[in-house]
Amino acid sequence: MTGINKNILRSILVLSYIAIIAFVLFGIGSLLSYLNTGADRSKMLHTEIKKVDQYLPKTAWEPLNNEGRPMDNQTLNAIQNDYLDAWYVKHVAYKTNTLVGIDDYYTENARKNIISIISKNKSENISIVSTTLQHHITLEFFSEDGQLAVISDKDVIEYKRIYNDELLVLETTEQTNYKIILLLEDGFWRIRHIIKEKSKNFNSKFKPAQKNIGLLKGINYYPKASPWNMFGDKFNTNTILQDFDIIKKAGLTSIRIFVPYEDFGKANVNSKKLKKLKKVLDLAQIKKLKVVITLFDFYGDYSVLNWTLNQHHATTIVSNLKNHPALLAWDIKNEPNLDFESRGTLLITAWLNYMIDVIKTTDTIHPVTIGWSNAESATILSDKLDFITFHYFEDLNALEATYLNLKLEIPNKPIAITEFGISSYKGFWNPLGSTELDQSNYHKKAQRIFKQNTLGFMAWTLYDFTTIPKKVVGVLPWRKRAQEHFGFIKQNGNIKPAFKHISKE
Amino acid sequence: MHLKLTYILISGLITLLASTTSKNNETIQLLTKQIQFEAGDTIELNFLTTSTKTPSLYISSSYGSTLVKANLESGILKYSIPQLISNKKGLVNWTLLSENKLCGKLNITANQKAKVLETYLGPPSIEAGGTDYAMLVVIPSDLYDNPLADSTLVTIKHQFLENQGNNTVFIKNGIAYKNIYSGKKSGRILASSECLAFNSKEYTINVMPAIPSNFKINYNRNHKFADGNQITTFSTSIIKDKHGNIVSDGTYVEFFITNTSNVILKTFGTTLHGIAKAKMIHPDHEDQWHVNAFIEGMAESNTITLKFLPIISHFNVLFSQNNRIITVGPLKSFMNQMVPDGLEVELSVYENNIKTQTLYKSSFEGFATFKLDTNKFPSKNYTFKIKTAGIEKTRTNVKL
Repeated sequence: MTGINKNILRSILVLSYIAIIAFVLFGIGSLLSYLNTGADRSKMLHTEIKKVDQYLPKTAWEPLNNEGRPMDNQTLNAIQNDYLDAWYVKHVAYKTNTLVGIDDYYTENARKNIISIISKNKSENISIVSTTLQHHITLEFFSEDGQLAVISDKDVIEYKRIYNDELLVLETTEQTNYKIILLLEDGFWRIRHIIKEKSKNFNSKFKPAQKNIGLLKGINYYPKASPWNMFGDKFNTNTILQDFDIIKKAGLTSIRIFVPYEDFGKANVNSKKLKKLKKVLDLAQIKKLKVVITLFDFYGDYSVLNWTLNQHHATTIVSNLKNHPALLAWDIKNEPNLDFESRGTLLITAWLNYMIDVIKTTDTIHPVTIGWSNAESATILSDKLDFITFHYFEDLNALEATYLNLKLEIPNKPIAITEFGISSYKGFWNPLGSTELDQSNYHKKAQRIFKQNTLGFMAWTLYDFTTIPKKVVGVLPWRKRAQEHFGFIKQNGNIKPAFKHISKE
Repeated sequence: MHLKLTYILISGLITLLASTTSKNNETIQLLTKQIQFEAGDTIELNFLTTSTKTPSLYISSSYGSTLVKANLESGILKYSIPQLISNKKGLVNWTLLSENKLCGKLNITANQKAKVLETYLGPPSIEAGGTDYAMLVVIPSDLYDNPLADSTLVTIKHQFLENQGNNTVFIKNGIAYKNIYSGKKSGRILASSECLAFNSKEYTINVMPAIPSNFKINYNRNHKFADGNQITTFSTSIIKDKHGNIVSDGTYVEFFITNTSNVILKTFGTTLHGIAKAKMIHPDHEDQWHVNAFIEGMAESNTITLKFLPIISHFNVLFSQNNRIITVGPLKSFMNQMVPDGLEVELSVYENNIKTQTLYKSSFEGFATFKLDTNKFPSKNYTFKIKTAGIEKTRTNVKL
């Protein structure tokens, strides 16, 4: 008996000894491996390239047919990079009246001209905010020793805002041809001569899209678990497919979704997110729904030097999706007129104007609109859009008159309301709010107006939401609560009375 | 809300007004009819105006844009274009910042007098033979650093030995260029250019010889004996390219020597006036060398054969002090002179026909002496083989 006990004791001692040793060894091992992680040799010299895209105008090269030495791709790339950088540093120089970077991209003689203009502008308090949006480059000549190149750059679209004493005095878009002589100095292709050969004011003419918008009968869509973050980690194709089924069965034919600019990677569009967006369109196609894609969601900068990046973002998305059968239309931006006060009406209008061009030249098939937040702004740029959309959250009694007034001003383009609705929140933060019944009546009435006027519509929104991100309506609780209850379906999945009137009176 | 609405309406109205022609009573009319100017001209734009407003003028040239302030003199708005714009070639577009946004263009051409012939010549050295070439690129520019107009005549001149050539080319895209080809001979091409009676300075292109062609080698030695002391010098013929140009000094020539036992010895030299020399010490035994030389990847020589005769045909071996001291020698060379110090003598010791040890000694004043230590070589019968200059002698069953 005692022998067995002793053996048990012994084995426990031995085992615990082994366990302790193993634990200590494991501890030392993980400490060592932790200490080793800091010394990743590949990162010791910080040789990884951190390239930030700051300037991405649309650049196209004519087929190479130059005099002199045959050109290779690597040099061509180097020339393009340095040439575009030369434009970028020039824009920055004229904007700030400083000379940062000019030395790198202009030869000693060429930079004298820029320096003299900048010193004049500085002394007279003139500053020029500008960008170039398109370049069409032809290589004319490449010298035998590979040190000199002549290019001509046709139809450069230059957008400029000229300020004098901090006041905007002129806004202009020019279409210009340049001839440029470049020299390879210190590893930089520097501009030796630049000569403007032709110039005219740039005016793009409106070309109607090949497809018509038809009569919109749709709804704004976010999955109920991930409002304003549709393409994040909660992205679930089953949920979306079920929701599309609900929408289709409710008698609607289209949805409106949003592409957040930053979330999608800004200039370098995140391919994973783009895949998810494509997937949503595929699902819509399964359920025979059409999709209006709203671009540039949550983008509010508009600064001129970022336009090329915006352009790159839009071109990538549009060119990837333009052939999708479920695509219905492009909405350039949701409620851009809300930024008029903070960023300036003219700047935003110019930005929208250009983005319409960008999208319409990339996709000639699908119609383009802007989702104005009210009918008053809807006349802006109306001659360049395929159809006019605005949002309506005011008194329903005034809707018909508002629409008819707008129709008078823009008689020849289809008009649709792409957001409308009412919150069914009545509670502590808003004791006088509407009930679910009020909401139902509201939608019933709205549908009557739409039907009488054959007006296209897209309601806000399918679901009540539990979480509203701060960036949508701010932090005030009464706004958040109200925003949570615009849906036709409650958070718990029960339908509200208004659901009956989601697509008909 | 109302404020915003009115603001939007007003701004909309303003844009509407701005886009249509002016409906107010201010009329401005351009007086200056000239639109073609030459760089350096004084440019003044005049406008007739009925108002007293003095709007600025926006001008945009090749290098940038700026504003010019107005000067109102008795109903005429005068804008003098600053020299930093008027001196530069290219199109200048202007917009008057008045309500009707009058706009127009000026064209400034280069001042057609060459003041600088900016010349780029490359590559700086080319190969003789008439296929390789250098390119001379000229950017003729005027006093204000504007490239001259396209289609202006430029003469590109070059001289090589007796040949002198003039080529006329026309400026295109702001530059004029000409490929200058090498001749059959190496040397220097001098090049220059001329535009509108203005001459550039002189530029030089080095014409280097083309790749070498095959050549011959020869050797030179003091005597034909394998004494391990004298040096044989190999030299090449004058190495030339296929056009007869002597290759550049410093061309690296490698000599490969294969001896009777197929061991390869290497030596090298670099050319001076086309001749490369390399040296190699004589073998210390009878041998035969096959030598050829290469300029790697380009040219090779013929193969020459050298024979080395043995210097020794016989030597004495003397055992003393219980055979423990072995004296080899005298070692006599081809004129019976003592061989130069340092000839290697090899002593192999065999025990029952098994080689147990090999000892080496260098000769000194004609002799080499081996001392066999009692500790290393206990008293026994040994066989000794003594070898020097390729001759071997054997002493069997020597008792130590």
